[in-house]
Amino acid sequence: MSETHATLVELAQKLYAGDAPGVLALCKRALGEGLAAREVLDAGLLAGMEVVGRDFKAGELFLPEIIVAARAMHAGIEELRPLLAEAASGAAAPRTAVLGTVKGDLHDIGKKLVGIMLEGAGFRVLDLGHDVAPERFVEAVRVERPQLVGLSALLSTTMPMMRTTIAELERAGLAAGTTILVGGAPVTAAWAKEIGAHGFAPDAVSAVERARELLAARGA
Amino acid sequence: MIRAARSRHASLLSADELAALHAAGLRILERVGLELSLAPARLDALCDLGLRREGSRLRFPSALVEEACARAPRGYRLCGQEPALDLDLGGERCYLGLDGSATEILDLDSGAPRPSTRADLAAALRIADGLPQIALTWPCVSAGDAPPAQQPLHELEALLTLSRKHAQAMTVVAPEHARAAVAMAALVAGGREALRARPILSSFQCSTSPLAYEGSALEAALVFAEAGVPCGFWSMTIGGGTAPVTVAGNAALVHAEVLAGITILQLLCPGAPTFYGTSATMMELRRGGVCCGGPEDLWLASAGAELAHRAHVPAAIGTFASGAKASGWQAGVENALSGAASLLAGAELWPGAGLLASARIFSLEQLLLDAELFDYLRAFAEGPGVDEERLALEAIEAVGPRGHFLGEAHTLRHMRSVWQPRLLDRTPWDDWLAAGRPEAADRARDEVRRLLAAPAPDPPRFAAELHALVEEEARRLQP
Ligand code: B12
Repeated sequence: MSETHATLVELAQKLYAGDAPGVLALCKRALGEGLAAREVLDAGLLAGMEVVGRDFKAGELFLPEIIVAARAMHAGIEELRPLLAEAASGAAAPRTAVLGTVKGDLHDIGKKLVGIMLEGAGFRVLDLGHDVAPERFVEAVRVERPQLVGLSALLSTTMPMMRTTIAELERAGLAAGTTILVGGAPVTAAWAKEIGAHGFAPDAVSAVERARELLAARGA
Repeated sequence: MIRAARSRHASLLSADELAALHAAGLRILERVGLELSLAPARLDALCDLGLRREGSRLRFPSALVEEACARAPRGYRLCGQEPALDLDLGGERCYLGLDGSATEILDLDSGAPRPSTRADLAAALRIADGLPQIALTWPCVSAGDAPPAQQPLHELEALLTLSRKHAQAMTVVAPEHARAAVAMAALVAGGREALRARPILSSFQCSTSPLAYEGSALEAALVFAEAGVPCGFWSMTIGGGTAPVTVAGNAALVHAEVLAGITILQLLCPGAPTFYGTSATMMELRRGGVCCGGPEDLWLASAGAELAHRAHVPAAIGTFASGAKASGWQAGVENALSGAASLLAGAELWPGAGLLASARIFSLEQLLLDAELFDYLRAFAEGPGVDEERLALEAIEAVGPRGHFLGEAHTLRHMRSVWQPRLLDRTPWDDWLAAGRPEAADRARDEVRRLLAAPAPDPPRFAAELHALVEEEARRLQP
C-alpha cells in the first residue's frame, strides 16, 4: 500500500471528528495540491468514514457523532461532486433518495436519521417530511426519478398506508424504476415483502448498507 | 376492587432545582413558543386571550400561563362504571393502569411477537378487569385487524364493554374520533349529562416534540373538554433526539410542552379537568432507538411528577414499560426502580402494566408481573406502621430470650397482613428443581392460561347498542 498523502490523512481525521468546515477546507487544500477528486474521495473521505463505521459498530462512537461525521462527509462530497462528474467516473453522479413518513403518521425522528446517514453516504436526499400523502410521493418520484424511495411508519394504523403508497407508485408506473425501502419500529422484513417493498432495514446505519446492496444488485 | 398505593411523597429534587426547571419551562414558552397547526380563526381566538403570534408560532407570556394553569382543578374523580371503581386524583393515591398501545403481542404459546388483534385486546382486558391492581384501562394493544381509520373506536368499544373500570382513550387523537368517542361514552354512561357528572372516560393529547402540537390533537382535546371528559397533555420526549440530551433540558422542554397544552385548554375551557403527562426517556445512543429505562428516566419521571404538582394538576407518569425484550432480570430491575421513582414522586396515574421492548410489544405475562410489582410497592408504601400494638413490646416480653414467636397471639393477629407474592418464588429449592426451575414469567404464563380458561363474563346490557353505534360511526369514518 502506498503512503497516504498527509493532507488526506488529516482529512480523514477531520471527518472522523465531524468537523465540516475542516473537511471542506482540507478538500480544497488537497485539490489545490493537485490530488485528483477521486483520490480525495477514496483515500480521504471514504477512508475516514470507514473508521467511523467500524468504531460505531464496535459501540465506541455514539449516534450523534455519526451524524456530525455524516454531515461533514456530505459537505466534502458536495465540494468534490462537480470534479467527480467531470472525471465521468460513473458512480459519481449523485444518487437521489426520496424519503417521507406516510400519511397519518407524525413520527419522523427515525426517518430524519435515515436521511442524514444517506446524505453521508453520498445520496442527494429529498425529505418530504411527515404525514406525506401517496400523491406527494408519486409526484416527487415522477419529478426526481430517485434511485431510492424510503417510506417510514411507526403506527399500526399507518403501516397499511405504506402498502397504499407503493400501490400508487405502481399504478403510476414508477415503482419498477426505483428501489423502495421501508422502515420504522413496527415494520418487519415480512411486512416489507408482503406489501411489495424491495427491502427493509431496522435502523439508520443498516438502511445505508441495505440501500447500497439493493442498488448494487440492480446495477443502479 | 381497586388497590391504590398510598403516595409516599419524598422530593428527590431540591426546591431550587424544581424552581429552576419551572422557570426554564416558562422561559421556553415565552421566548421560543410552540408551533400549533391550528386553523387561523382558532389562532386568532388564542391571541385575543393573550398569546402572541408570529405566523403559526405562538408565544406564551409567563403570567398568562400561571394564571391559566391556576384555573385547572388540582384534584377530581376519574369514574368507573360503578362508584366503587372511581379513582381520586387528589394527590393521596397512586394508581396503576394498563400501558399502551403496542402493535405486537407476545404469543402465549410460541413466545414470539406477532401483530395484535381485537381478540388480543379482549383477552388482555378480561385479565386486567380481574386484577385489583389495575385501576384504569388503555388500549394496551392495537386492534390491528380493524380498518385503520376505525381502530381507535374498536379499541374504545373494547375498553368500555370488557371492563367496568375507568377507560382512558390514548389513541383518539383527531376531532372526528373524539366526537365518536364522546357519543360512545355517553351511551354507556346513560347520556351526555351523566357522562359529564361521572366521566367514565378520559383522554390525552401528545405534543409533537420538540415544541409543537398538531391542530387536530388540540381540536380533539377541546371536543373532550366540552363534553366534560378530562383531557390531559402528554410529552414523550427523547433526550438527544427530540429533546436536549441532558435530564434538566429534557424536563424543562417537557414542562413547556405540557403547560402549553394546559394553558390553551384553560383559556378556551376554563376549569376543565386536565392532567400533566409525560413518558420522557432517552435516545439509545449506540443504535438510535428509545431506552425506556435507565437512571436518567428515573429523574425524568421524578421531575415530571413534581413539576405537575407545582402546576397544581395531577401527574400521569410513564412507569414500568422496560426496554427489555423479555420478562427477565432487566425488566424486573428497570420496572422496580421506575415504580419506586413514581411512588416517591407521588405520581397519581401510572401507565403502566404489560409493555416490553420500549413500549412496542405487549405481554400478558408481563401484565401479571407488573401488577405484582405494583402490589409489592403498594405494600411498601403503606409504611411500617410504628404504633403501640405493632411495636409488639408485650409479645417480646412474653417470649423473652431464646423463645419463639410462632404461636404468639400477636403473630396470629398480624401475620395475615404480611404481604404475600403470587409470582415471586419462595418455594424450597427441591420443589423449584422438581417444577423444572420455573422463572417468574413461567409462573405468570400458567396464571394467564388459568385466567383465560375461565368462562367469559356476559356482555354488558349496552353491548349491542354500543356496537351498532361503533358501526355507524365507522361507516362515517371510511375507510
Ligand atoms: C417519540 C414518539 C412519538 C412522538 C413523535 C415525535 C417525532 N417528532 O417524531 C409523538 C409524541 C408525536 C408521538 C405521537 C403519537 N404516538 Co408515538 N411514539 C413515539 C415513540 C416513543 C418513539 C419513536 C421514536 O422516535 N423512536 C426513535 C427513532 C430514532 O427510532 P425509530 O423511529 O424506530 O426509527 C429507527 C428505525 O425504525 C429505522 N427507520 C425509521 N424509519 C425508517 C425508514 C426507512 C426507509 C428505513 C430503512 C428505516 C427506518 O431507522 C431509525 C433510526 O435507527 C414510540 C415507541 C417506540 N418504541 O417506537 C411511540 C409509538 C410509535 N407511538 C404510539 C402512539 C400510540 C402514538 C399516538 C397515537 C399517541 C397519542 N395518544 O398521541 C400519537 C400518534 C400521532 C401520529 N398521528 O403519528 C405507539 C404506536 C401504537 C400503534 N397503535 O401503532 C408507540 C409504539 C408507543 C406506544 N406503545 O404507545 N409518538
